[in-house]
Amino acid sequence: MAERREVRATATGPGRLLIAVYGIFALAATARAGVQIAERFDEAPLAYSLSAVAGVVYILATIGLTGTGPGFRRLAWFAVVFELAGVLTVGAFTLLVPGDFPQETVWSYFGIGYGFVPLVLPFAGIWWLRRTARAG
Amino acid sequence: MIGTLVLVITVALAATALFGLVTTVTNRPPGRVHRIAVGICEVLVVVQAAVAVYLVLVNGVTLPEETTFLIYVLVSVCLLPIALQFATASDATAAAVTDPGTTPAASAAPAGADAGPSRWGGAVIAAGAIGTLVVVLRLQGLWSPVG
Repeated sequence: MAERREVRATATGPGRLLIAVYGIFALAATARAGVQIAERFDEAPLAYSLSAVAGVVYILATIGLTGTGPGFRRLAWFAVVFELAGVLTVGAFTLLVPGDFPQETVWSYFGIGYGFVPLVLPFAGIWWLRRTARAG
Repeated sequence: MIGTLVLVITVALAATALFGLVTTVTNRPPGRVHRIAVGICEVLVVVQAAVAVYLVLVNGVTLPEETTFLIYVLVSVCLLPIALQFATASDATAAAVTDPGTTPAASAAPAGADAGPSRWGGAVIAAGAIGTLVVVLRLQGLWSPVG
């Protein structure tokens, strides 16, 4: 139990930069998905639904990293791991079977449309969650 | 959208981002210069947003993706103030909430660099500025009036 007390808040130091980037992605991905779904959902239901899922995951990660306590930490872990799985799956899929993804999503081609930040972000998130878990 | 203004905004945002990163590297927390820089950028972005919205909603300029454009306009205006607020907020409150078990002496001393606005505030501002820059450039791309 002593270890738990020494857990460092994820919203401190470099964690702040991480939260800022997650926040921007949460805003951007959600806004984009919102427009896509509202205006032309029929064109590519799968891609646009995925955009929305990505937006929600970024929102959850932002909330999880901003809050303090085990609950928020679990939420952050869930979101970050989901995000990693998402970007790897969608990235590989778009690369191998391009035809099935007519429209771009945040995770298409490992996030090439966003400077590969979507690919780097989950690794940074996992690193930070692990680091803050042991640092005092 | 005004071509010259976009150029000025691009330079201002890039300079602000660079300055933010430099202060993070040189271990300085965000201060007055950061606020002024962000303020200048924000004024420029707001002017551009106002002009664009006026042209679209009042002056009858038609864009192929009007809703997307207007949402991006909104995002472009919101990012910097939020980033500045977040960058200059104190780390101390967050640290105090997490470490209820530590003794006062321990919680006062350890992560000294994290008390008050930390040096990472500059990086947060940089992230906000780069994000705004991307949005502004995207706006520029979406600005293709029909007719």
